[in-house]
Amino acid sequence: MATNSIKIFAGNSHIDLAKLVAKRIGIDLSRVMVLKYSNQETSVTIGESVRDEDVFIIQSGCGEINDNIMELLIMINACRTASARRITAVIPCFPYARQDKKDKSRAPISAKLVANMITVAGANHVITMDLHASQIQGFFNVPVDNLYCEPSMLNYIKINIPEWKNSIIVSPDAGGAKRATSIADRLNLDFALIHKERKKANEVSRMVLVGDVNGKIAILVDDMADTCGTLKMAAETLKENGAVKVYAIVAHGILSGNAIDVINDSCLEKLVVTNTIPHDDKKLICTKIDTIDISSTLAEAIRRTHNGESVSFLFSNAPE
Amino acid sequence: MRRAKVFSGSSHPELANNICDRLGVPPSPVVLKKFSNQETSVEIGCSVRNENVFIIQSGSTQINDHLMELLIMISACKGSSANRITAVLPYFPYSKQSKKKKYRCAITAKVVANLLSVAGVDHIITMDLHASQMQGFFNKPVDNLYAEPCVAKWIQDAVPEYIHGVVVSKNAGGAKRVTSLADRLKIDFALIHTDRTREPRRNTPNNSTTCVTKIEVNNVEIVNDMDDEIDDVSTDHLTDSTASIISDAETNITLVGDVEGKITFIVDDMIDSSGSFIAAANHLMNKCNAKRVYVIATHGILSGDSLKEIEGCRSIYKLVVTNTFPIPPDKRHQISKLVIIDISATLAEAIRRTHNGESISYLFDTAI
Repeated sequence: MATNSIKIFAGNSHIDLAKLVAKRIGIDLSRVMVLKYSNQETSVTIGESVRDEDVFIIQSGCGEINDNIMELLIMINACRTASARRITAVIPCFPYARQDKKDKSRAPISAKLVANMITVAGANHVITMDLHASQIQGFFNVPVDNLYCEPSMLNYIKINIPEWKNSIIVSPDAGGAKRATSIADRLNLDFALIHKERKKANEVSRMVLVGDVNGKIAILVDDMADTCGTLKMAAETLKENGAVKVYAIVAHGILSGNAIDVINDSCLEKLVVTNTIPHDDKKLICTKIDTIDISSTLAEAIRRTHNGESVSFLFSNAPE
Repeated sequence: MRRAKVFSGSSHPELANNICDRLGVPPSPVVLKKFSNQETSVEIGCSVRNENVFIIQSGSTQINDHLMELLIMISACKGSSANRITAVLPYFPYSKQSKKKKYRCAITAKVVANLLSVAGVDHIITMDLHASQMQGFFNKPVDNLYAEPCVAKWIQDAVPEYIHGVVVSKNAGGAKRVTSLADRLKIDFALIHTDRTREPRRNTPNNSTTCVTKIEVNNVEIVNDMDDEIDDVSTDHLTDSTASIISDAETNITLVGDVEGKITFIVDDMIDSSGSFIAAANHLMNKCNAKRVYVIATHGILSGDSLKEIEGCRSIYKLVVTNTFPIPPDKRHQISKLVIIDISATLAEAIRRTHNGESISYLFDTAI
């Protein structure tokens, strides 16, 4: 019997998020066994029929990133050969997204390679969130829906930062200026920009603040926080320039290396990240981390994709 | 250059001739014409068997015709057993449509990339892509050259007081390009931001009606607006439809940074309609007391009446573009403020190095 119902599978990268999404939609996660052979090869067993079903596979790019990509590819392919009607890869944090251009001579465009791999494995559709550069959508030959954390971030700011009306949005580097201005516009706030200068003669890299933050709450906005070195330096620069408090709001909290120590040492008031990447263990050792739950956005996108409804609503609204 | 042929499409013969002069080879013979039913016809006038072929074709005002011509030329060379075909696109057509702007747009730059690959191109040389991520649209190697070294050299040579200048981006999206130039020149930078949300009409049905009227009024303009950055749209829209009655204070332009008494360079990768540049220049001169405003862009598309508008704008001191995009001589003479930087040397050197299998990274930092 072809039911064409939603089947949600979760890879090992972020099962908590997948559970939240499934709960929102009101179904259970479909059964799948993903494990490794002793020689470290990934093995996938799809535990129920997917014939003529609408399959969604949730896998984020984090942690053991290469293993997770391989897992996703094998799961897509397993569903493809098991006659799924349509396979949608839901990738909250797109792996290798920062390697999206030849920024240096001979640099590989690894994001394109990952896109090709996902397409070749058999995905018909990709849902992702806050791509590092939206041009990555063009790397695919299948439709890509790039969702935004911005509406959820706006809600967070309005609810959890009581003094937000006296704040200023700051981008920690020039590349993120557009993102910052977009949030500043939505909140009707001013914005400023920090630039790391490198090439000034006889000078080590220093940070230049363009804009006035004196006496204000500074909110740093970026799409990802990895080692947090930039955020820490930016926060110090802002404090030196008279900012009262410094918050940082970031879409993807990768927080690798000694990021936690860096944050604990920094003068950041809070580091707010979304749960596109699991960080519950890190919250235990760092009280400054706060989480925005974006599972509702993903769940709504999955529901709308399944029902053939428009997802544009989600670009500017966060579902309840 | 042995075993190499350089062909010129009809979009920008002047640039192609400059490049050929630099390379010391004549452009190879090719007959480009149109049949009476408007189909493009290409006849390659010499053998290309086992040769490295370079085809120079820029975007132009007849963008689709010239794109089609390029595709046919590539295909003709492929069918004539060329060894390797390199398309040299100083300005990449459709490069502004490189991402989905929220609702259901096509990624047309990707379509163009696919078309070129299907036609049989082996290598692409281009300049200052609107987004460098576009290199990932191809499965073939793409060399994205930069005009920045030439622009920096021009500033250093032609503006003696540049060291007290400020490089300004007219929107947030261009901030990275601007900081890179500012770092190279070792001068400060600033950012102009146009608030579109704080505009009272935004998000009201009113706004969309204005847009619709604009489609009816001026077809060309709306095409500009659609592929323009969203930031630009609102500025253009303001300057165009509400004319000059609105003062800067009401247009919600903010400058982040300090330009008081300084020479400013508004830098962007392309200048098409002039509205947002003029609004930015007016703001810098009238509200922020800048000393002088230079507008600098790599690709001078300057469609419609932009040149006249810039000539008429008292705030803009000079308009500086490179010759990647053809500007017809009669248009060029309309404006005394226009300065054109010749970048044919960079392209020629890239072609020479590609042909000889040498590294081209040197060109990323150095003006030839």
